[in-house]
Amino acid sequence: MRRVLRHLDLPLLAATVLLVAFGLVALASAAVPLGGPWAYVRTRLLHLALAAGAMMAVALVDYRRLAGLSRVLYAGMLVLLVAVLLVGVTRLGAQRWIPLGPLGGFQPSELAKIVLILTLARSLSTQKPPSTLPGLLPVLAHVGIPMLLILRQPDMGSAMVLGAIMLGMLFLAGVRLRLLAGLGGLGLMGAPFLWSVLRDYQRQRLLVFLDPGIDPLGAGYALNQAKIAVGSGQVWGKGVFAGTQNLLRFIPEQHTDFIFTVIGEEMGFVGGVLLLLLFLVWIWRALQIAYTAADRLGMLIAGGIATMTVFHVFVNMGMTVGLMPITGIPLPFISYGGSSLLTMGVATGLLLGIGARRRKILL
Amino acid sequence: MPSEPISRRLAAFAVISVLLFALLLGRLWQMQVLQGSRFRQLSEENRLRDLRLPAPRGILYDRKGRPLVTNRAAFTVSLLPMELRRPQQVLPRLAAILDIAPAEIQQRLEQARRRPFEPVRLLRDAPKRVVAMVEENRLDLPGVIIEVEPVRHYLYGSLAAHALGYLGEIDAAELASPAWEGYRMGDLIGKAGVERTYDRELRGHDGRLRVEVDARGRALGILGRDPAHPGKSLVLTIDLDIQRAAEVALGEMAGAVVVLDARSGEVLAIASHPTFDPNAFAAGISPQAWARLATDRGLPLLSRAVDSTYEPGSVFKVVTPAAALARGTATRATRVTCNGIFRLGGWVFRDLKAHGTVDFVAGVAQSCNVFFWTLGTRTGGDAMAEMARALGLGERTGIDLPSESPGLIPDSAWKQRTQGEPWYPGDDANMAIGQGWVNVTPLQVARMIAAIGNGGTLVRPHLVRQVLDPDGGPSRTLSMPPGGRVAFRPDVLDTLQEALEAVVQRGTGRAVAIPGLTVAGKTGSAENPRGQPHAWFAAYAPAAAPRVAVAVLVEHGRRGGLVAAPIAKAVLQAAFGIGAVPQAQGGAP
Repeated sequence: MRRVLRHLDLPLLAATVLLVAFGLVALASAAVPLGGPWAYVRTRLLHLALAAGAMMAVALVDYRRLAGLSRVLYAGMLVLLVAVLLVGVTRLGAQRWIPLGPLGGFQPSELAKIVLILTLARSLSTQKPPSTLPGLLPVLAHVGIPMLLILRQPDMGSAMVLGAIMLGMLFLAGVRLRLLAGLGGLGLMGAPFLWSVLRDYQRQRLLVFLDPGIDPLGAGYALNQAKIAVGSGQVWGKGVFAGTQNLLRFIPEQHTDFIFTVIGEEMGFVGGVLLLLLFLVWIWRALQIAYTAADRLGMLIAGGIATMTVFHVFVNMGMTVGLMPITGIPLPFISYGGSSLLTMGVATGLLLGIGARRRKILL
Repeated sequence: MPSEPISRRLAAFAVISVLLFALLLGRLWQMQVLQGSRFRQLSEENRLRDLRLPAPRGILYDRKGRPLVTNRAAFTVSLLPMELRRPQQVLPRLAAILDIAPAEIQQRLEQARRRPFEPVRLLRDAPKRVVAMVEENRLDLPGVIIEVEPVRHYLYGSLAAHALGYLGEIDAAELASPAWEGYRMGDLIGKAGVERTYDRELRGHDGRLRVEVDARGRALGILGRDPAHPGKSLVLTIDLDIQRAAEVALGEMAGAVVVLDARSGEVLAIASHPTFDPNAFAAGISPQAWARLATDRGLPLLSRAVDSTYEPGSVFKVVTPAAALARGTATRATRVTCNGIFRLGGWVFRDLKAHGTVDFVAGVAQSCNVFFWTLGTRTGGDAMAEMARALGLGERTGIDLPSESPGLIPDSAWKQRTQGEPWYPGDDANMAIGQGWVNVTPLQVARMIAAIGNGGTLVRPHLVRQVLDPDGGPSRTLSMPPGGRVAFRPDVLDTLQEALEAVVQRGTGRAVAIPGLTVAGKTGSAENPRGQPHAWFAAYAPAAAPRVAVAVLVEHGRRGGLVAAPIAKAVLQAAFGIGAVPQAQGGAP
């Protein structure tokens, strides 16, 4: 414990705290038209306490011991993912939540990301990087099973995150680029299949991404309004609590997936840059911790977490500014949602733990 | 220690991350700095209106397809909360024009807080003068718009008002009730009559038009259209001619008339007086007018045919002999000598006059009380109660109207339970002539007399024949299964029917005799604690194969044969197209 405290990665912790604070302000503002600034903040604080507790607990436990529980964790994740399909609550057309009383609901697909990072890091660290396509099959199965369960909910976004984590970790594990390219080719071949299993609204979102004009009332409408919100923030923003797009509720899901529209509108380019910088610091620390990790396991865990976070930030912000299609992926630390925050808390805890047990080198 | 390729990979990863972030940064620069002013302008002009496309309510037709209730176009003054500016100045000005309290506007805005694009209705069916004033002051009334909405139009005013019903805004209790799930604040719903029972069929679905408008409220484009689905129309069982005849015949007397198809239970006419004009409610009634109606001592909103119960008096003398015949306590040959007095224990019951010796048919025809007291005490209250219930008295008929009263048929168990006393022979005597606690609705009486006439089928009265789908879907014909069957022995039925025919041919109901039509029926004068006796008449015709059953009640009309019977006669003449009834065209239904 003393060791962990002594070797705490302060820049990472500072970036985390600032991101959370940033998120609280944005959430309070986004909640004004949804029932007053405190409408979501109270629950958010509860979530924060839980996430902070989880972060500290995870940081104190040696990540090698956590990874040693690989089989149990993996099995538990599958059980939860199956359970949500059986007893889950349907919101917004997808069955993603296990109800949990005052905490709202629990989204197993969020936790699956962390479990997958841990278990995949464990299995990749105990073997040589696979060098042939058949050699990749165990990894594909490892990731594919939870991915299919998540697709079934359906939760396109989270399934994509799992895919991204796999690619990122294989890349960091040193798998040859030719093999990764082959994997990518395989994925492209699967695309028509994927298109066929997509729900209508998901196809619509992809089509709208390619041509925002085709559905001005539905998906295209949300995208268009999101862009107006962000763009109208100009350099300095309209001021916190003063965004008209926000107050008039032009944007759906403005407190969860579309929360960046509130930041962009009310805090402007300056706010956006600040947010990007905070994320950049966070990811820089994650990669630094990966680099200095005591072993391959730690490096892969930290790398997986960095992958996950970069993917989340890019896809989420990208979708609100029209760079990416609309998918339900939260903005880490910022979007309202307890499961997502808990995941990021655990991720931060893992990073802190790996950082504290790093190789004895001077930085 | 990461191997060399691993650290290279980490570095590559870092580069990729930075590039992705740079891409986001560049995009933000482009949108917020380079194009920011354009987006700012777009956001300032960003105005949406969700306009209602009101669904016209279904039309109500009479059984021959003549419209009774339609819709007319009217103006509604509404407010778009999102576009309201300077409320402190605008709201009082608007309240003055509309002649409503500013606080009421505030309250309505408050209720609509969650849907800022939707117009909030302030005044339905606004007079032309008000519409003109709003239009003239348009620039000083930002956010105020005029919508065109259909308003209910009852073509014949108060005609059949209680059966048709009226509209009103849904209230808090209804909103909270599961029966009205899916309804929203401000919805106009049926508050009575068929309008209420069939509200879900009639109302249809409002559509929406999402319009983008510029800062001056001019439409720039239609963002979406969700078309309105008009409500389904209903073909009622009511016959306009018979209904009108019934109301004309009832005139200014307080009472009710029910005319049924004796075979199917279709309600051909149903009248109640005093009455009201549902048009007064069509666009929301003013509080003053509502207070006037609700506190009127004549209770104009009450449907006397269905919602009120009355002592049946002598019309119950259908039940007593039916019970006696069924029990064998009397036969066609039973004779009773009436000297005007009936002694029971130490009590003396007095008849209106001494009828001499009467046989079964004459006893019924002359409504001789001594005859019925004799039968009643022989048969017993519980047997009479059983027959009364078999004939559908004391229970709801199941008519498709809200707030039907069940009435009451007492028996010994009921008396013990509620009065804490046993059933005495005196109770038999009272019940035999329809007094005591017996309470029935005119609708129940019509159904009862129909059941005697049609051979024992207890029809289920109903007001709707057909549901027409305006979208061209199949129209639905409603068929109501009968409420039950009374298992009369044939000889019982024959004797009863003979006696009821005798009432009209040579008894108390002679006033209803119509040349060319054999009518069977029973008069009644029901003593009641509130004043003069109620006048009753219940009849069916033609006697041999009845098609029409009538029940007439005149509150405090004193003599059924003198006051109620002529009304029944007028109704039957209209129903069968006999005699000088100007509106009557065509034959019987």
